[in-house]
Amino acid sequence: MTLRNPDREAVAHGHITNEPIRQKPGVPSWVLKLIMAVTGLLFALFVVGHMAGNLKLYLPAEGGDEALDEYGAFLRSMGEPLFPHEGALWIIRAVLLVAIIAHIYGAFALTARSKASRGKFRRSNLMGGLDSFATKSMLVTGIVLLLFIIFHLLDLTLGVQPIAPGDFAEGAVKANMIATFSRWPVTIVYVIAMCFLFLHLTHGIRLAASDLGITGAKWRQTFLILAYVIPAVVCIGNIVMPLSVALGLVS
Amino acid sequence: MKLTLEIWRQAGPTQEGHFETVQVDDASEQMSILELLDHVNEGYIERGEEPFAFASDCREGICGTCGLTVNGRPHGPGQNTPACQQRLFNFTDGQTIKLEPFRSAAYPVIKDMIVDRAALDHVMEQGGYVSMDAGTAPDADTLHVNHETSEYSLDHAACIGCGACVAACPNGAAHLFTGAKLVHLSLMPLGKEERGRRARNMVDDLEANFGHCSLYGECADVCPAGVPLTAVSAVTRERARAAFRGKDD
Repeated sequence: MTLRNPDREAVAHGHITNEPIRQKPGVPSWVLKLIMAVTGLLFALFVVGHMAGNLKLYLPAEGGDEALDEYGAFLRSMGEPLFPHEGALWIIRAVLLVAIIAHIYGAFALTARSKASRGKFRRSNLMGGLDSFATKSMLVTGIVLLLFIIFHLLDLTLGVQPIAPGDFAEGAVKANMIATFSRWPVTIVYVIAMCFLFLHLTHGIRLAASDLGITGAKWRQTFLILAYVIPAVVCIGNIVMPLSVALGLVS
Repeated sequence: MKLTLEIWRQAGPTQEGHFETVQVDDASEQMSILELLDHVNEGYIERGEEPFAFASDCREGICGTCGLTVNGRPHGPGQNTPACQQRLFNFTDGQTIKLEPFRSAAYPVIKDMIVDRAALDHVMEQGGYVSMDAGTAPDADTLHVNHETSEYSLDHAACIGCGACVAACPNGAAHLFTGAKLVHLSLMPLGKEERGRRARNMVDDLEANFGHCSLYGECADVCPAGVPLTAVSAVTRERARAAFRGKDD
C-alpha cells in the first residue's frame, strides 16, 4: 500500500501509520458471517425440500388429480386449522424473504470490506481447482441465482407474461411445469442456473461449517462430503425434471 | 541458471512504486530467494547504486522477519515454506520471477519490499498474552494438560507472525493469525481464564483493518509454521462464544 500523506505521529513511534482502514462497522463481520452461514444453510434445506416435493411430477395421478397438483394444494392448506388457509405457506415465504435480504446485505457488506482490506494489488496465482473456483465466483454465482429466483417466481409462482407460459393456470402445477419446460430456451435457463447453484452451494456448505466453528476432524469430513453430495443431488434432481419434460418423457 | 527478475522498487511510504527489471546470469539452484536478492544487491553496491531493501533475520525459518511476494504468492512457490528456505530449484532456467512486497492494504510499504506489519502487533496487543502473574514454573504434574491437548495447542502456537496469511488472502483477512492465537491460549490452564475477553478484544480489533474469511485456504497453504486451516473457524466461534457467554473466561 502507498500512503497519501506521512503520518508523523505514527513515524515517531516506529510505525508507518496509525490510521485504521475503517472505523469499526455497526454490524461486525463475524456477525454478518454467522447470519450468512445460518441463512445459507436454511436455503440449502429449502432447495432440498423444494426438489423432493417437485419429484412428485413422476408419481401417477390418483383419483383423477395429479400427484403434483395435490402436493401444491397441500402446501396451501398445511398447518390448518392451527394457521389460516395459506398461513403456514406465508410464514415460510416471509422467513425466506427476510433470510435472502440478510444474506444479500451480508454478501455485499463483506465484499466491500474485504476489497478495502486487500487494497489495490489483487491476489494472483491462486491454488486453482474446483473449490478455489467456486470460492472466487461466490458473488457472481449468487447474483445469477438471485436473477434466476426472480425469473422462477415470475414463471411458475406468479405466472407473469411473457415469462410464464401462455396458458398458465394457478393450481395446475404439473400442467404449468410441462408448458414452461416445453419451451427449449427456458429449459436451458433452468439447467444453467442449476450449475451455478451447484457451485454456490458446494462452497456455501463448506464455508458455513467453518464459520459455525466446526473444527473436529470427523464433523469437518462429514460436512466436506455433504458439501458435494447435497448440491449434486439437488442439481441432478432439478436438471432431470425440465429435461425429461423438454424431451417429451412426461406428459 | 539465468533468470529475469522484476523487483519492486519504492522509495518510501508516500511514493509510488514500480518494477525494475534485472538480469541474473549466474544464479545457482541452491540459492534461496533471499540469497538471490543478496547476489543482485552486491552488484548494485559494487556499482555504487542503491540496493533493494528487503527484510530478513535468522534465515532458518523461525523468526518470521522475511517475507515477500514471489510471482503473486507470498514467500514463494513451495508449500509451507518461508522465503528464506525457498530454493531456486523450484524455478526453471530462463524464467521470469516477480518479487514484490507482501500485498495488503493493512501493510504499508516502508521501502522496496519491506512492509510495516504493525496492524498484526495491534491485534496481538489486544490479548495475545496471559495477563496474570504466572509466577515461577510449577512442580511437575501439578497442572494437568494431556498430551493431545498440548500438542494441539502447540500446533497453533507455532505461528511465527510473518503475516504471509494476510498477504495470501484475496480478502486480506488475518483469521489464521488471530485464530491460531485464540486456539493456542484457550487450551492452556492460564490462558483459559481470559478466553472470552481475549476473543472479544482481538476479533473486534480485526474489524478495523482486515477482511473476512471465505475459506480460500491460501493462508494455510503458504503458512511457514503449518498452522492448520481449522484455526480460521476459531475466530467466529470464539467471538460468538464470548458474546453469548458474556464472561471473561
